[in-house]
Amino acid sequence: MPVIELSMTGRPKSGRVVGIDLGTTNSLVAFMGDSGPAVIRDDSGNALVPSIVYYDNDERRLLVGEEARDRLITEPHKAIYSVKRFMGKGSADVQEDLGMVPFQVAEGSEQVIRFRMGERVFTPPEISAFILRDLRERASKFFGEEVTQAVITVPAYFNDAQRQATKDAGHLAGLDVLRIVNEPTAASLAYGIDNREEATVAVYDLGGGTFDISILKLKDGIFEVLSTNGDTHLGGDDIDNELIAMVIRELEERAGSSFDRDPSAFQTIRKEVMAAKHELSVRDRASMSFDLGPARGGEYSREITREEFEKTIGMLVERTLEPCRKALKDANLRPEQIDEVVMVGGSTRIPLVRRNVELLFGRQPHIELNPDEVVALGAAIQADVLSGSRRDLLLLDVTPLSLGIETLGGAVAKIIGRNSTIPASRGEMFTTWVDNQTGIDVHVVQGERELVQDCRSLARFTLKGIAPQPAGLPRIEVKFLIDANGILTVSARDVRTGKEQSIEVKPSYGLTDEQIERMLIDSIEFAEQDMKKRQVIEARNEAETVMRAAEKALADRADQLIDQDERSAIRNALAELRAATGTEDHRLIREKIQQLDDASRHLAEEIMDGAVLAALKDRKASEVTEG
Amino acid sequence: MITTQTQRTKSECTYCGAETESAHFCSECHSILTIAEGTDYFSFFGLPRKLSIDEADLEKTFYALSRQLHPDYFMNASAEEQQASVERSSMLNDAYRTLRDRVARAKYLLSLYGYKEAEKKAPPDLLEEVFELNMEIEELKAARQTADEDEVAEARAALEEALRSLDERMTRIDERLFALFEEWDRAADEAANEDKRKPVLDRMSELLSQRSYVHNLVQDIKEEL
Repeated sequence: MPVIELSMTGRPKSGRVVGIDLGTTNSLVAFMGDSGPAVIRDDSGNALVPSIVYYDNDERRLLVGEEARDRLITEPHKAIYSVKRFMGKGSADVQEDLGMVPFQVAEGSEQVIRFRMGERVFTPPEISAFILRDLRERASKFFGEEVTQAVITVPAYFNDAQRQATKDAGHLAGLDVLRIVNEPTAASLAYGIDNREEATVAVYDLGGGTFDISILKLKDGIFEVLSTNGDTHLGGDDIDNELIAMVIRELEERAGSSFDRDPSAFQTIRKEVMAAKHELSVRDRASMSFDLGPARGGEYSREITREEFEKTIGMLVERTLEPCRKALKDANLRPEQIDEVVMVGGSTRIPLVRRNVELLFGRQPHIELNPDEVVALGAAIQADVLSGSRRDLLLLDVTPLSLGIETLGGAVAKIIGRNSTIPASRGEMFTTWVDNQTGIDVHVVQGERELVQDCRSLARFTLKGIAPQPAGLPRIEVKFLIDANGILTVSARDVRTGKEQSIEVKPSYGLTDEQIERMLIDSIEFAEQDMKKRQVIEARNEAETVMRAAEKALADRADQLIDQDERSAIRNALAELRAATGTEDHRLIREKIQQLDDASRHLAEEIMDGAVLAALKDRKASEVTEG
Repeated sequence: MITTQTQRTKSECTYCGAETESAHFCSECHSILTIAEGTDYFSFFGLPRKLSIDEADLEKTFYALSRQLHPDYFMNASAEEQQASVERSSMLNDAYRTLRDRVARAKYLLSLYGYKEAEKKAPPDLLEEVFELNMEIEELKAARQTADEDEVAEARAALEEALRSLDERMTRIDERLFALFEEWDRAADEAANEDKRKPVLDRMSELLSQRSYVHNLVQDIKEEL
């Protein structure tokens, strides 16, 4: 699919690798410049693209970012936000979340949740792909080259399915995803606290939807992750939800009846509490006020103090501390052995969060870099390493969760422990239980618990085509490999014959290759839309230039240089072009530009000749004066 | 025969065909090589099969090899080399994880000589104690159910005492285990001592299964507390 897009854009393909932070709340793209990593901003100087997508089926209109945000209140059923929380999830996983968002879930969401936007249904990877496509376009425009390679960050505590979903999103956006990098690890690269020989660093990353803690050892340019822990379900969104719940409680008390969960009213409240939350990071008090209309109790206005805010969110902040302690324990370190603490993610702006972190580690955390940008900057550094331009840095990351296989009775045999440096592998020998058995079923899970039912099902596969033999005789070696992206691949080999064994891995959650192919085909439509939009804009810009020139020529000298018929032909062509720029048809605009060009060619030539004569005359005059 | 020599397998470079010793890269064309059959964690690190390992040295080698083998540096290489890099660096990580931990290292050595991960076996003199411990755990559970604070405190104290004695036992097991490490290394150095090696491995295996048993017991008690 990228090939088709390339031929449509007309931009040369770029060899650059960009770094993308695909966030719950905001996303952004960065690159490695001559003087270090830098974020790419839009024309108005914004680096952050709100991770919000709007789709209108009737108008076939797709909006991403700020424009989509504007529709949250006016057309809440056509906009999706915080989609990262749903990546790699089935409907059963996200019941609680679904209660907090006004999204419409479509049929067939067991393995991959599907949201309805207008008439169409999209999966989280597709929605994320729209955001990625927007960032990719931003980067391509910036470089004047088609960017096709990227490093995308994910929360360190993301499981296999969530990582794969992110990679799928990149693929759908026409990106070759060179690496999935963990957000806290990327942040540590950006901070690059490596002016001392060796340091132990804790990265506390509280974002819009997820929490990560990673502990790293930095030595001679090697960033070795010792342990990581987290909660992929804890972030700014949860803080907002606490505040929204508080407001709704008050509205209900006042009205004496239960609150009607109208999506638009919900978005109004959400917008207001988010503004108050941001305010409370810099001031002691903030006010909220909005009007939900007479049917919903009319005006609401209230002041909230920081103290009250901290009491409301105290439990949530407390929940981040346990993963910190676990990570320390796994790294075999005490808090006082941490040399530096780095804060990442917008939610670390909250004073209560900073106080808690400072208390736990007994030192002031680093907040020098913009917590919204630091992950993308780090991704750009890693992108630079992967593009082959430097070998002075190396990230050694770990897998956040143990990998196991189901054994008899629904127990789990751990085969790769959590916090193992990746790539990590393990070979396991399988054999048959009954005579002449030709297939063996394997169920792979991720998690720390002892029973399959308490872990996350990752995939199932069958070792097929085993030659009929007495039970226990066949020896099939299965190699489990977690690659540098933290994604599992499985291969199998018959030990006796040495033959590769065919296996068909069915991911428990996530999209199949066929589904992705189909989505890619569907996404061409959007690529074409993007393309068209750009072609229209470019044609319009060119039309403006041509029209200005023609108008100027007409006004200046046309009366002396050409006759009445030619002048009116130019005026007609001008009017037609002007009308064409009002349409969305770039071909029509180009055609009319050509017409105006043709109509005004004679005039242009006359002007040119005149200009040449004038120039000659001037020269003569100057020669005369000089002489 | 129980050999302690580092495996030195000659292999052919798949790229240029040159015969090369089992290093990570072809000495002729410098391509990263697929892992030769029979490479173990010790040989991967270029170490003899000995149990005393300087951990600082091991780390240094780990970092140096990471810088040579990591997939990050093979993004523009051929698919075969990329695959070889993933395989080599995953083996490097697996080997480092195993060798840097003394107990894991000893278990791995045993596995190289065909010892199966032994059943957790109670040290003979511990059986009576284990019986008592289980009683105490049950008592604690019962006391918790009736919410009798005094009895809970009493049962806890008994278990904590038991935990201390188990910790001491663990220390003694480790001392004996590490003494065996030295014995193994000495036997490994002297070719004449080949017949001494098997008994050392047998004793090590026995100690390790006792250690696993005590370790599990300690975990169980800690969970109850």
